[in-house]
Amino acid sequence: MPPAQPARVVLTTGFSQRHTGGVKEFSVEPGTLRGVIKAMDARFPGLGDILEEETTVAIDGEIHEVVYSQPIRPGCEVFFLPKIESG
Amino acid sequence: MLTRTKDEEKTLKVVGTRPVRPDGEPKVTGLAQYGADFSLPGMLWAKILRSPHAHARIRAIDASRALALPGVKAVITGADFMEQPFEYVGPERVAVNYWHMTRNIMAREKALYEGHAVAAVAAVSPAVAAAALKLIDVDYEVLPHVIDVDAAMAPDAPLLFEDMITRGVEPAPTRPSNVSKQIDFRLGDADAAFAAADEVVEMSFKTAPVHQGYIEPHACLARIGADGQGELWSASQGHFVVRAYTAKLLGMEIGNLLVHPAEIGGGFGGKTVIYVEPVAAMLSRKTGHPVKIMMSREDVFRATGPTSGASMTVRIGVKKDGRIVAARGVFRFQAGAFPGSPVMNACMCAFAPYDIANVHTTGYDVVCNRPKAAAYRAPGSPISAFAVESVLDVLAGKIGMDPLALRLKNAARTGTQTAYGPKHAHDGYAETVEALMKHPAYKLPLGRNQGRGVASGYWFNGGGESAATVHINEDGSVVIATGSMDIGGSRASMAMMAAETLGVPYEKVRSTVADTGSVGYNHVTGGSRVTYATGIAVVDACRKIIDDLRGRAAQIWDVNPSGVVWEEGHARPASAEVGDFAPLSLKAIAAKRAVTGGPIVAEAAVNAGGMAPGFATQFCDVEVDPETGAVKILRFVAAQDVGRAIHPSYVEGQIQGAVAQGIGWALNEEYIYDKNGRLSNAGFLDYRIPVASDLPSFDVVMVAVPNPNHPFGVKGVGEVGIVPPMAAIANAIQQATGTRMTELPMSPPRLLAALDSAEGA
Repeated sequence: MPPAQPARVVLTTGFSQRHTGGVKEFSVEPGTLRGVIKAMDARFPGLGDILEEETTVAIDGEIHEVVYSQPIRPGCEVFFLPKIESG
Repeated sequence: MLTRTKDEEKTLKVVGTRPVRPDGEPKVTGLAQYGADFSLPGMLWAKILRSPHAHARIRAIDASRALALPGVKAVITGADFMEQPFEYVGPERVAVNYWHMTRNIMAREKALYEGHAVAAVAAVSPAVAAAALKLIDVDYEVLPHVIDVDAAMAPDAPLLFEDMITRGVEPAPTRPSNVSKQIDFRLGDADAAFAAADEVVEMSFKTAPVHQGYIEPHACLARIGADGQGELWSASQGHFVVRAYTAKLLGMEIGNLLVHPAEIGGGFGGKTVIYVEPVAAMLSRKTGHPVKIMMSREDVFRATGPTSGASMTVRIGVKKDGRIVAARGVFRFQAGAFPGSPVMNACMCAFAPYDIANVHTTGYDVVCNRPKAAAYRAPGSPISAFAVESVLDVLAGKIGMDPLALRLKNAARTGTQTAYGPKHAHDGYAETVEALMKHPAYKLPLGRNQGRGVASGYWFNGGGESAATVHINEDGSVVIATGSMDIGGSRASMAMMAAETLGVPYEKVRSTVADTGSVGYNHVTGGSRVTYATGIAVVDACRKIIDDLRGRAAQIWDVNPSGVVWEEGHARPASAEVGDFAPLSLKAIAAKRAVTGGPIVAEAAVNAGGMAPGFATQFCDVEVDPETGAVKILRFVAAQDVGRAIHPSYVEGQIQGAVAQGIGWALNEEYIYDKNGRLSNAGFLDYRIPVASDLPSFDVVMVAVPNPNHPFGVKGVGEVGIVPPMAAIANAIQQATGTRMTELPMSPPRLLAALDSAEGA
């Protein structure tokens, strides 16, 4: 069975400059959002907590709060963006 | 699972109808209890001493004369509150800095705006408390002040914080300034793409800070016991957030503070933060008595957060066929006395309705000597939309294209890349434009001095954390409890979704807002999130109840629960093979509550995602009086993608209210300061919000593009309606007069000056 197509993690320019040395895109194994966060934390220790606390996530454009169980499909885009202020 | 699909085939019986709201009668008969309506035995009254200076160092505070006044029980200053670490906590866009928050609640080293709290008194009566304020001696060193955002960014501007280094700039600046933060969003290469445009328009704009204008001033009652446990009654948009902030500033464990939600007399974002609650709680802790604080209207204007005033420059380039090829926006926002304007939202929302390959937005968060900005309906988006939608109108004129057609040609759709990151996942914008293009009034002829203006808007809409409890009583009636403050009819919409899910009449469901000890965490009622997120929690809890009821019916029939289905409020055998049983109503099952297992109750908690954004497009017709500069709104047509309206009247009400506030923002509302930085119009007589006679009958066009991620297709509706009006009115004034207004408010004196200037040119 061929390996699943990876998911594509994307960060905003400002966020990537602060936390990943300016690198904005990464490939990670699909599965759940927990797995994505763990994979990012393995590459940049401490980044997992920041992603959990500071971001909302858009999965193929669909905006979700960061919840571990959120499914991450093969080939999808996982875009971490700033949380939204309430009015 | 966070993603759900609604049942398209299901015929809805309750959702989409217009029943009477359960909180309506208490509100119109005066029985509803707001923040100021609570009292306790032994209660003291508190008053707050406020700075008369826009910017001053506090050298000393001497309260001895006040404390000597009979009836005075305590005086507190900033020194009574524990120090907080200087750190930004939480997401960048909504980061909280408790070092700032505790200083906004009560000044310490400096008073940073006129009205800044510097001390508070608790006394046996309001009169004694007021008298005591006059006996507090504050030694101020008055400092130069700055209010305007452009002036605050000038190199020689007075500094509010002598050590503030702009965040978000690499390398970090070496000199302090009033610019707290700079942010940037880029898509493609806007600078290069302008070269391919046939027409490029660049304009600069200014907007005035405006207050949310809620009718109810802030008020609370606090009781902190000697055992360290306390209770708080307060009107807010989120009593769980009030609890968290107040506990933090007083050094309490969250669980030791119980917050009761009072009814709320309007918030619009301005009651997502705290002002009086920690002060009342600290005075209660110090005196051992319950303490009540009520702000006056003047206090509200001088000391609570409006939205930002702004200075903006927007540049857009289009091809002759109307295709937008590049966009650039620079947005400078007043944060008020502490960092935290909604400029990031402004940058993200500015061009979001459009499919533009090359976009660059830059935002500046700038402190100045005004009350700290607070959220206001779609925070930030209406401000940047005023600039963007005005420039689009100019471009439409230059290329001879209908302004709605220009917007439709560039409409963002599912899959369109946004400048701030992800692709759009939902349609809805183009549908609002098309709805107006088909509207019979759009082509009606206009008279002399009349004009028609168009504008659009975008807002993210929120999801997030909500919890709900559903309880079936022994007579079959239903009680649902959430922790979401009811601002716009959410008790009714929760009851309707519960009734629809359970298959019972709306009248059988009582919907309540519970205190922080009686239901799980609910984030604030804001961000257009409650009908969506709390609604999902209610439906989930009802589905758990249905599973429970099926199990109890199975016990009564001695069958397997899998052989029981729930249809139209009754348990029924799933097939003839299960047995020949008469349907059991909810009431019949509830009557056997005890023998089937005890209370019938279910809770559900969600961190809801999958919310769809709000899109709005509006046009208005105005008539300008060239003698006075007065603008009369003749017609206002507001189209909005509402997903599916649970209670259409309340959805229409949200849209009407948003437009009314936008009209005030456009035409009249502004803070007027004297040369000393003191507010000259701290009251509704002089700070002019629209009244009924200023407004036409709104024509609301609800466009329904249901969100498949909500059980009933809901999209948030409370905010996006305020995004387009300012630009729509400016565009209409331009058509009526030939004069382009670039500064808000477009009040009669300002418009008259512009008309006179144009005539003299």
